[in-house]
Amino acid sequence: MTRLNARLPYQILTFALFAAAWELYARARGGLLLPGFFETLRATGALLAEPELWRALYVSNQALVLGFAIALALGIPLGILLGRFRTLERYADVWLNILLVTPMAAIIPLLVMWTGIGLTSRTALVTVFSIVMVIVNSRAGVRQVDPSLIEMARSFGAREREIFTRVLLPGALPAVMTGVRLGLGRAVTGMVIVELLMISDGVGGLILEYRGLLKAPPLYATIVIILAEALLLISAARWCERRLTHWSRTTATRANLAGSPK
Amino acid sequence: MIEIHGLSKTFTDRRGDTVTALDDARLDVAENEFLTLLGPSGCGKTTLLKCIAGLVPYDSGTIEIDGRPIQGPGPDRAMVFQNFALLPWASVVDNVAFGLRLRGVARAEREERARELVATMGLAGFEKKLPGELSGGMQQRVGIARALAVQPQVLLMDEPFGAVDEQTRRLLQEELLALWEEQRPTVVFVTHSMEEAVLLGDRVALMSARPGRVAELVPVDLPRPRARGGGPDRSGVYAELTAYLWDRLREMHEEHRTVRTGAPA
Ligand SMILES: Nc1ncnc2c1ncn2[C@@H]1O[C@H](COP(=O)(O)OP(=O)(O)O)[C@@H](O)[C@H]1O
Ligand SMILES: [Mg+2]
Repeated sequence: MTRLNARLPYQILTFALFAAAWELYARARGGLLLPGFFETLRATGALLAEPELWRALYVSNQALVLGFAIALALGIPLGILLGRFRTLERYADVWLNILLVTPMAAIIPLLVMWTGIGLTSRTALVTVFSIVMVIVNSRAGVRQVDPSLIEMARSFGAREREIFTRVLLPGALPAVMTGVRLGLGRAVTGMVIVELLMISDGVGGLILEYRGLLKAPPLYATIVIILAEALLLISAARWCERRLTHWSRTTATRANLAGSPK
Repeated sequence: MIEIHGLSKTFTDRRGDTVTALDDARLDVAENEFLTLLGPSGCGKTTLLKCIAGLVPYDSGTIEIDGRPIQGPGPDRAMVFQNFALLPWASVVDNVAFGLRLRGVARAEREERARELVATMGLAGFEKKLPGELSGGMQQRVGIARALAVQPQVLLMDEPFGAVDEQTRRLLQEELLALWEEQRPTVVFVTHSMEEAVLLGDRVALMSARPGRVAELVPVDLPRPRARGGGPDRSGVYAELTAYLWDRLREMHEEHRTVRTGAPA
């Protein structure tokens, strides 16, 4: 927390510079399609009073919450199993690589063909966008748990279930939380992209609508609101991460001093 | 108390090469004995200890404790690890209570017992600290307390003081001696230090590599208690024994070298 506060002046400074550059450029250039910083702020205030915005946010976030919840519910256990049982890797590796490298936008048409243009489709896309981060980080988290801890637990009579609950899960938690945070970022991306590209609904649909009507200020305001939501969600995830994994910062510096077996 | 006969263990590494860590090893450890296990590195000390702990399945031979063959890890044995193997997210008390928790001891009881041991090990005031906030010596005190908490008949220690500095090691050795002289558990203590082997042990089991087995049992004829006054007189018997052990170890290292370079023995 102290580190966040220490960074705050710099963040305000860079933001002020960014806003000033934007405002100056918009004034120099002029024109209908480039509102200045202050005009955008005003438009954002106005948009926040529109029921239309809140309906769009509700529609979009439905897919976000459902899709991300599914990504967590499937991704965390899957990643942990993959980390623990290497033989499963053979089956999963190729799929994970596909998920990692495919431009996700390309599969949107397929999803729409399979599941239609409703909530199902948008939810599925959020899941597909975000799940790979959750799986890969959970897997890495389990892998980085010191094997001597598993041996220690076994020496005190732990069975496989207890090795999971008492050693692997807590040990993997920091990396799992990192996966949750990164996955959340991708989930928001997925939520907006599907609405922009295929299913004109929610906040993405709002952007398309304002663009069609050449209403630049509310268009910018919508983007600002999406950004604000993303920042808010990521900060919340980071806060949870810090709360839950306080220990990993005390250990990181010391772990190497503790000596490793020769 | 511990009887080991014809114990053999061969590892196969990732490339498919085999390493014979133990070959027809035998060893008897008496009740309440402090046995130190000394040998060149890679001779199979850790493997032997882990076999006794029930952590490593062996290929052939028998390990019996009080006449019963061991089947995996058991409540009669507890291990202390060279790298401490503490849970980095758990407090000192929770680490000490870990074995008790696995054995289903109720929370209030296990915390009380853990707190007592934390105090015995000189860690009072550090109950809520995380391992990452402790020095190496303190971490190993936690490791020892965790093993003692389950009240094992046999304490298995794998180079427990190998990762701490010389001064801390001396302190820990004295503390361990004092504890042992009071409670007298059976101890199998692996070390690569002749001095440590003699200082602590009733007998030193000298292991050879290739074949990995106990080559010689050397009784340590030093009076007890040895903990007080900074340990025994380091001349006389102590000096003779460490010198003898070093001679034997050096022979082993030299044999090893001639075997490896292919020079005539
Ligand atoms: N899990 C393992 N896989 C392959 N080889 C191993 C394994 N554990 C030990 N070894 C080999 O067995 C031999 C004995 O090892 P170890 O018991 O650790 O020796 P020490 O503790 O005396 O140094 C060494 O050559 C080591 O490389
Ligand atoms: Mg060893």
